[in-house]
Amino acid sequence: MSQKMDRPKHVGARIQRFEDTRFLSGTARYIDDIRPPNVLHLSFVRAQVAHGKILDIDTSGLEFLDFPVQFFTGADIGDLSIKAHQDFPEMQYSEQPLLARERVRFVGEPVVAVLADDSYQAEDAAEMVFVDYEPLPAVATMAQARDPEVPGLFDGWKTNVFIERQMKGGDIAKARAEAAHVFTRTYSTQRQAGVPMEGRGVVAEYNPSDRMLTVWSSTQIPHLLRTYLSEELGWPESRLRVIAPDVGGGFGVKGQVFVEEVLVPWLALKTGRPVKWIEDRREHLTASIHARDHQHTLEAYVSADGRLLGLKADISVDVGAYSTFPFTAAGDPGMAAKVMPGPYDFQHYEATFRALASNKCPIGTYRGVGRPSAVFAQERLMDDIAKELGLDPIEFRLKNIIREFPYKNALGFTYDPGSYAETLEKIQELVAQDRAAALASRGDPNKRIGVGLACFVEQTAHGTPDFTRRRVPIETGYIAARVEMTPDGQAIVEVGLQNHGQGHETVFAQVAADALGIAPQHVHVRHGDTLTTPYSVGTWGSRGGALGGGAVHMAAGKLADKLKAIAGHLLQADAKTIVLKDGLAHPEGEPGRHVAVAKLARAALRNVGELPQGMEPGLEAQVSLDGPADGTYANAVHAAVVEIDIHSGKLELKRFVVAEDCGTILNPLVVDGQVRGGVVQGIGSALFEHFIYDEDCQPLTTTFADYLMPLAPEIPDIELHHFETPTPLTPLGAKGLGEGGAIGPAAAIANAVADALQVEVQSTPLNANAVWRLSAHARGDLHDG
Amino acid sequence: MNVTLTVNGTQRTITVESRRLLADVLRQEFNLSGVHIGCAHGACGCCTVHVDGAPKLSCLTFAGQCDGKSISTVEVLGGVEAEHPLQAAFRSEHGLQCGYCTPGFVMTLAPFVDDRVAEGRMPDDLEIREAMSGNICRCTGYHGIVAAVRKAIGDRLAKGTQA
Amino acid sequence: MLRPSAFEYHKPETLDQALALLAEFGDEGRPLAGGQSLVPMMNLRLARPQHLVDINDLGLEAIERDGPILRIGALVRHERYLTDPLIGALMPVFQEGVHYIGHPTIRRHGSIGGSLAHADPTAELPLLAVLYDAQIVVRSVNGERRVAAAAFFHGAYMTAIDPGEMIVAVEFPIPQTAAAGAFIEVGERRGDFALAAVAVQLAIDGGRIGTASVACSGAAQHAIRLPELERALIGKPLGEPAPENEIARIAGALKPPGDHAASADYRRALLKTLLTRATATACARAREIS
Ligand SMILES: Cc1cc2nc3c(=O)[nH]c(=O)nc-3n(C[C@H](O)[C@H](O)[C@H](O)COP(=O)(O)OP(=O)(O)OC[C@H]3O[C@@H](n4cnc5c(N)ncnc54)[C@H](O)[C@@H]3O)c2cc1C
Ligand code: FES
Ligand code: FES
Repeated sequence: MSQKMDRPKHVGARIQRFEDTRFLSGTARYIDDIRPPNVLHLSFVRAQVAHGKILDIDTSGLEFLDFPVQFFTGADIGDLSIKAHQDFPEMQYSEQPLLARERVRFVGEPVVAVLADDSYQAEDAAEMVFVDYEPLPAVATMAQARDPEVPGLFDGWKTNVFIERQMKGGDIAKARAEAAHVFTRTYSTQRQAGVPMEGRGVVAEYNPSDRMLTVWSSTQIPHLLRTYLSEELGWPESRLRVIAPDVGGGFGVKGQVFVEEVLVPWLALKTGRPVKWIEDRREHLTASIHARDHQHTLEAYVSADGRLLGLKADISVDVGAYSTFPFTAAGDPGMAAKVMPGPYDFQHYEATFRALASNKCPIGTYRGVGRPSAVFAQERLMDDIAKELGLDPIEFRLKNIIREFPYKNALGFTYDPGSYAETLEKIQELVAQDRAAALASRGDPNKRIGVGLACFVEQTAHGTPDFTRRRVPIETGYIAARVEMTPDGQAIVEVGLQNHGQGHETVFAQVAADALGIAPQHVHVRHGDTLTTPYSVGTWGSRGGALGGGAVHMAAGKLADKLKAIAGHLLQADAKTIVLKDGLAHPEGEPGRHVAVAKLARAALRNVGELPQGMEPGLEAQVSLDGPADGTYANAVHAAVVEIDIHSGKLELKRFVVAEDCGTILNPLVVDGQVRGGVVQGIGSALFEHFIYDEDCQPLTTTFADYLMPLAPEIPDIELHHFETPTPLTPLGAKGLGEGGAIGPAAAIANAVADALQVEVQSTPLNANAVWRLSAHARGDLHDG
Repeated sequence: MNVTLTVNGTQRTITVESRRLLADVLRQEFNLSGVHIGCAHGACGCCTVHVDGAPKLSCLTFAGQCDGKSISTVEVLGGVEAEHPLQAAFRSEHGLQCGYCTPGFVMTLAPFVDDRVAEGRMPDDLEIREAMSGNICRCTGYHGIVAAVRKAIGDRLAKGTQA
Repeated sequence: MLRPSAFEYHKPETLDQALALLAEFGDEGRPLAGGQSLVPMMNLRLARPQHLVDINDLGLEAIERDGPILRIGALVRHERYLTDPLIGALMPVFQEGVHYIGHPTIRRHGSIGGSLAHADPTAELPLLAVLYDAQIVVRSVNGERRVAAAAFFHGAYMTAIDPGEMIVAVEFPIPQTAAAGAFIEVGERRGDFALAAVAVQLAIDGGRIGTASVACSGAAQHAIRLPELERALIGKPLGEPAPENEIARIAGALKPPGDHAASADYRRALLKTLLTRATATACARAREIS
């Protein structure tokens, strides 16, 4: 599919982003800036117990308020719900009602919707509603979820396991039989929240004049939301418009369909007035989605000469109270099971993975989805094995790394070409001095230095078969782009993606500009509005650049072909020889003999008499691009250098180095930003971020005073080294890169801590208390405190 | 209560409930969409504006407290084209992605840049990072923001302090 | 939404007016200083005062030397200490501690009266007040009283202030002899409230420790002094290493709270480490100036 392009002029250039000006000047429009007149503000009464039967909802207090209010409970909404079922017989069925009916299953679950003319008043009113619960025991741990004696969270459930399945390839028994060494370890990664700086929010308005129901939502998936709304509300999709305005960060969090997104339009239809809900930070932390919360037990089979022969994995994820749409409860455990083989060459693999229910906030997609946890386990294991065998951890990896492509892994997934060994060797060279310093610090009575790395592949931009195999309601993964030229020779690009920081408005302009021979400044990229953009799955799964860029390239290429045909006709030259460049069309090598692209556009759209005989007027093309069946595999090595004060547990991240390969780089500015931003989120996972529940599933970290994300002083400069192995599987050679940065840091930092303290690190976060505990041995404490 | 505010140079008297946060009043009464609310409990810096010239969290300030005060928001800093040197540096150094935190960072850091330029000195990285420690950016990993501050100070030091 | 419930706002122009308002509202009124702690609590609806008495315009913003006393007005903002010449010269440990408070914008608006009245268990200014034996000057319509820092803090977010009272100033005795000290804190991130913090102030008597003051936070629900350690330090030569065994024993007997941010064991160990380091640093600094 890859067509060798002429040296592109704009793709690959470090162009400043066009969208920046509106963000810098304060003129961007986010969800809270959508203010329809006569709007009703929605506030929720949310569950305060983790698990309980609703005995009574007392709304009598609302009568005493001196302003008008309306309220709705689970009894009013019929059976409207979020249904996120995976079509496997092993999957136990569940739904999340838009407002709790009979039972609540996590703290923060919406119970009553209260509407008032003013947002402060809506909050006052919600406080006047009292819900009486009969508390039920909370399912708080993985062990409780698997205990057949514990009653199910849903009627008819046997245990609190949403689903348990297996994935395997090769012959694991053979690997075990041939192994000289068997290593078994358990690793876990904590529950987190994704926390875009803008929370969620939904506004809905019905306009009786054109019978359009318009829904604004801070979402990454406007088309998927539209279809869900249509199906759930029984509303014709042609009369539904979903607009994702400027979105203040998503990171996967806003890639689900949430109960609030269905409820708000329902309320707008019900009340006949626009309805608005803006999530607050406490709601976001307790009741949007959570992430991670994995526990992996791995068993590795290794030959006498240090080669990995096979791997067995047992993967449990505490996915909380409900299955999320569209990736379902199995999204995280399934992803971890799928990617666990990683960048290493072995052919025997078997994974058992399960999604466990608990009375906690549901787990959904957050940057990396399952991969940060899988890579944490896999890369910690690599270090633990190397240590026990007395091997250098980098040499051990180099010995096992995949070097020949395409490579079919144990599960049958084909890896396209990458630079696995090269990135690893580069990192080896870059951290050599730090490793020497680490070694020298081993006997230091106060400070220890450690170097750790994480080596991984990331399946990106996977196509439809990957989703059908999983039988998830997402079903497909294609992205569509429409390119149109206006009579003035400028272009409009409309993509079925949502740009919330990824630079689409610039990068796609670069791509289209190259194909059309015009300046990127003359390309207007639109996104996020289902009325103007072609149906697509939205922005997730690291597919924006690879598939969105590819679709734009192909659609613009179609337009270019038509422009060339018109130019050939007007210049009386062979269309095949025409090049489009700098706003002009001319035969190759004859720049003097030219016609302006704008003139060609005008011919196609207005002066159609100038078109070649029989050519249809118009200048528009649309392309839908599905991902490659197995996706395209980006690869990276992350390295962390830490310095630990073994008496206080304070860890300083001295250095963080990335060597990565995401294929063709479309705009280095954007690529660097995506990688660095991801890395710092990963550093948060490694060090601070922990969403904590007590044993009754009461949340303890519900504000930014307790849920700690990285602040600038904790973060070093993130050093980047790019490798560029274009993939033959996407039109521009680009692989996905949006999530990669977040995948490696937990593993790299944990390995650095393990190196510094000469202990095995089994879990994150590595906060001061945890590092102090792990330092017991280094301090010479007899018992770890 | 009645409150007279001078917002971005224009004086207006409005009637507000005493509990209304300055952030909400700027957004709703003055249509200033550049004031963002990221946490509403003082811990993210998104809502930073200048009250009588100094950065302040508008989510921890009641509009009623600002009677007679002068308030400026990101809108007035460099106009619709965002032409303030720090804004230009955010653009060239990729100091923003989703843009939600950006007005808060810019309003927190613009005086910091001015002060360092006035002192004629380039702060080290840690000092720059500490100056922004009350602001959370979830997208950029801070790298581009630190670079933007360095560039904004460096450019003006190179040009002399007249800028 | 995180928005406060309704209240009435009052902006007195004189201290007497403010005190009259506070007397009138009793339990239902609260002073509003920098708002950096109160307003978050109100937005979260963890605090619901019916009346806010804005005390920002009462002129309580002086830092003055009055003989052996440094008097800090209740509304002095944290950032002032970082550049104040009196504080820098007389109480460098104070300045060192203030660096750990929050972030620049918070330091610009938060006040000492607010910080002491809020009484976060590990806030820096309460710890410094305890370290220096500060007197907290509290006034109401009935008059003024002085409460020693040691008696001021009753628990997490609990103080000796009665309804109708407010802090008007905090008086710090100025160290009279050559002195040196240290403030060390460990928090998860820069600007976070401490997991534990230690402040040490030593008066120098020849080459020895004259009097010693050692305070810590994280060991209890409010900052405390460690008199046993102070006694152990008195008379020690400055060149001698910190008495690690003594410190270990004293720290070992502490009963710090354990919570999701840090276990009791960790806090205890951390206090031991910080006590050792702060003592050693204070001695080293004392050697430099003596
Ligand atoms: C993100 C963030 C991080 C922070 N980090 C730290 C930190 O690391 N260390 C730290 O110490 N603090 C920290 N703070 C708190 C900050 O220092 C506050 O400024 C301080 O605790 C309260 O001062 P204030 O003037 O803002 O008081 P306010 O918020 O106005 O009031 C706080 C309380 O004190 C009462 N009060 C105020 N003044 C008086 C008075 N004169 N007499 C009697 N009662 C009074 C109020 O009624 C209220 O109950 C942080 C705050 C935030 C938002
Ligand atoms: S919104 Fe004001 S600090 Fe977060
Ligand atoms: S740019 Fe998105 S939070 Fe900073």
